[in-house]
Amino acid sequence: MSRRKKETHSYSRLKGIHKVVTPLDIIKKKRAEAVSRIIGKGYLSTKRVYVGMATCEIAAGSDEVMRVFRDAISKGGLTDVYLSQKGCVGRCNLEPTVEIIESGKNPVRYGLITPEKAQNIIDRHLKKGEVITEWVID
Amino acid sequence: MGKEYVVTLCEGPSCIHKGSRRLRQLLEKKLEKHGIAGKVRTFLSGCLGMCAKGPIMVINPGYVIYGGVTVDDVDEIVEQHLIKDNPVARLTVKESHLYNRFFRVFGDAKFFGKQMRIALRNCGIIDPESIEDYLSLRGYEALAKVLTDMTPEDVIEELKKSGLRGRGGAGFPTGLKWQFTRAAESDEKYVICNADEGDPGAFMDRSAIEGDPHTVIEGMAIGAYAIGANKGYMYIRAEYPLAIERIQKAIDDAKKHGILGDNILGSDFSFDVEIKLGAGAFVCGEETALIHSIEGYRGMPRPRPPYPSVKGLFDKPTLINNVETWANIPVVIIDGGDWFSKVGVGKSNGTKVFAVAGRIVNTGLVEVPMGTTLREIIYDICGGIPGNKKFKAVQTGGPSGGCLPEDFLDTSIDYESLAEVGSIMGSGGMIVIDEDSCMVQMAEFFLEFTQSESCGKCTPCREGTKRMLEILTRISKGKGQDGDIEKLERLGHMIQKASLCGLGQSAPNPVLSTLKNFRDEYKEHIYNSKCRAGQCKAMLSYLITDNCIGCGACLRACPVDAITGNKKEKHLINQDICIKCGKCYEVCKFDAVAKS
Repeated sequence: MSRRKKETHSYSRLKGIHKVVTPLDIIKKKRAEAVSRIIGKGYLSTKRVYVGMATCEIAAGSDEVMRVFRDAISKGGLTDVYLSQKGCVGRCNLEPTVEIIESGKNPVRYGLITPEKAQNIIDRHLKKGEVITEWVID
Repeated sequence: MGKEYVVTLCEGPSCIHKGSRRLRQLLEKKLEKHGIAGKVRTFLSGCLGMCAKGPIMVINPGYVIYGGVTVDDVDEIVEQHLIKDNPVARLTVKESHLYNRFFRVFGDAKFFGKQMRIALRNCGIIDPESIEDYLSLRGYEALAKVLTDMTPEDVIEELKKSGLRGRGGAGFPTGLKWQFTRAAESDEKYVICNADEGDPGAFMDRSAIEGDPHTVIEGMAIGAYAIGANKGYMYIRAEYPLAIERIQKAIDDAKKHGILGDNILGSDFSFDVEIKLGAGAFVCGEETALIHSIEGYRGMPRPRPPYPSVKGLFDKPTLINNVETWANIPVVIIDGGDWFSKVGVGKSNGTKVFAVAGRIVNTGLVEVPMGTTLREIIYDICGGIPGNKKFKAVQTGGPSGGCLPEDFLDTSIDYESLAEVGSIMGSGGMIVIDEDSCMVQMAEFFLEFTQSESCGKCTPCREGTKRMLEILTRISKGKGQDGDIEKLERLGHMIQKASLCGLGQSAPNPVLSTLKNFRDEYKEHIYNSKCRAGQCKAMLSYLITDNCIGCGACLRACPVDAITGNKKEKHLINQDICIKCGKCYEVCKFDAVAKS
């Protein structure tokens, strides 16, 4: 046991002599795979939408908001959008929150989003590129 | 130019020293001169953690970081980058601290500007249910680094260098705790994550686990490697179903990737995490009570020493840390103890997460570098008190902490400064109180909580808190007696000294600190039967003044028919029937109902 344990800590020494796959090599490979899987899910779309889905956000109604976005993608013909959930960022009084990140533009953060407002964001922001300033958190 | 730029200037102490304020003035002048002042937004942020390369300027979109900017560079930045969209390569800094990504998304929002997210760096950024998201942001790299080329001693050394202290409230140096647990000889050791968050109004741990469960697991695995343990427990309250679901999914996903379980990442280190649910007893946040609860016994504390680092779970050496402490570990390993130790102030390094609630415009979760003042959190980050009300007090540390009045608003947030003024850092609850709240009721509320959560094992806590609560209830009911204040103080000091565990030792804090800082209010309650906030119903009566036009709105609103009067004549409240609900006060449009 003690001999084997020693080996664990001497990757750097061994590396010079033999070709050893270290935990760091493995995790870097995993990261590369993870990145390509995320890209495979459409991460490189020009628009990324994040909906807060922690207990607090869900209590404020974010799962309904999420459904509106999901439906818009599956049925409403909303294309080139990567939709993801996220944890709570800490804006308790403005939940549910939605972020829209577009390449080459500053991130837009919306607060107090209802299903109706979400539909508006889809129609005006995601489809026409208009930032709805009155709902933006700054 | 098509882009609307946001230029962020670091306003940390180090960058100010190097001239960031002068840079901003100059920048705004140049923007004016080029006629693009309306299109470029300038923004000041708190310390961005790149002090060595300051002054720091960040330009979004694109997240271009300029370091060591001087007044001579401003022209070039404006003309090349902001007008021609051509970043100035010679000034760019390549920094890849783990919190960078948070700043990219939220860095130019006022609420987040003065914050620095280390423990919560991924919360609100990644999908917490996706291990891919976590891996893509250098997740589990710290664990791999530790397994590849650090001995357990190296890890502990790095942690000691960082100066990280326990975030559960007591602030014990984490590196030392790890060292003691490593030094204890045993065939088996354990690590525990304390996620039994029970302070009223506090939700830091829940958000951390729901937003980024893998960080906590990674921290625990590193801890287990450092002390030589193979088994970990996550003790989490059953009231957090989503957090439990997400941490379970995180554990399962990590196992699938070979990051938990036997021979982690091809090494011969094995580690597994099991979830234990707490049934919601406040005392189980105390480490020895928590350990009893995991063992299957009633959650009751025991005297220390022996400390858990020597004799803990199943009598084996046990390393127990709070969620937030664990979440800091990967950063300490990747960005280094030296870097971490530069964030913060004095003997308190790094950041602290607070759940800000109460009478405040922006309630929410903030993570600030140690040394930030209470005023900065309450006014700069959270936007102050709503409705132009006057600030009265801030309660830090929940039911174990103290109430600080306005004079202490400039207190720096670190373990020592808060203790000096009679409060504690605590686990991170922060409740803001305005002039409409009664301090006696406030103290009563917290004591009611600790009194009912007292496990009953030791007499000072069980009986003492009960007697204190009786006196407080008496005072708020208008039946306070001469000598009550002194009696409360005597009892409070006795409970602090004689109680077995942290619950009892800290339970009198809200009462003692309000007695110290708001003694006049107690006196008014006892000797003048007056509650200046108008909250204690027993001391309150509603009267109808001559402004009354006899519209009858109050008469209809009164739930107990205490109001009489004919139409268009002044109405009258029968004080014997009135339950002081305040409905008449709310509905009156003519300011004709007065509180006295």
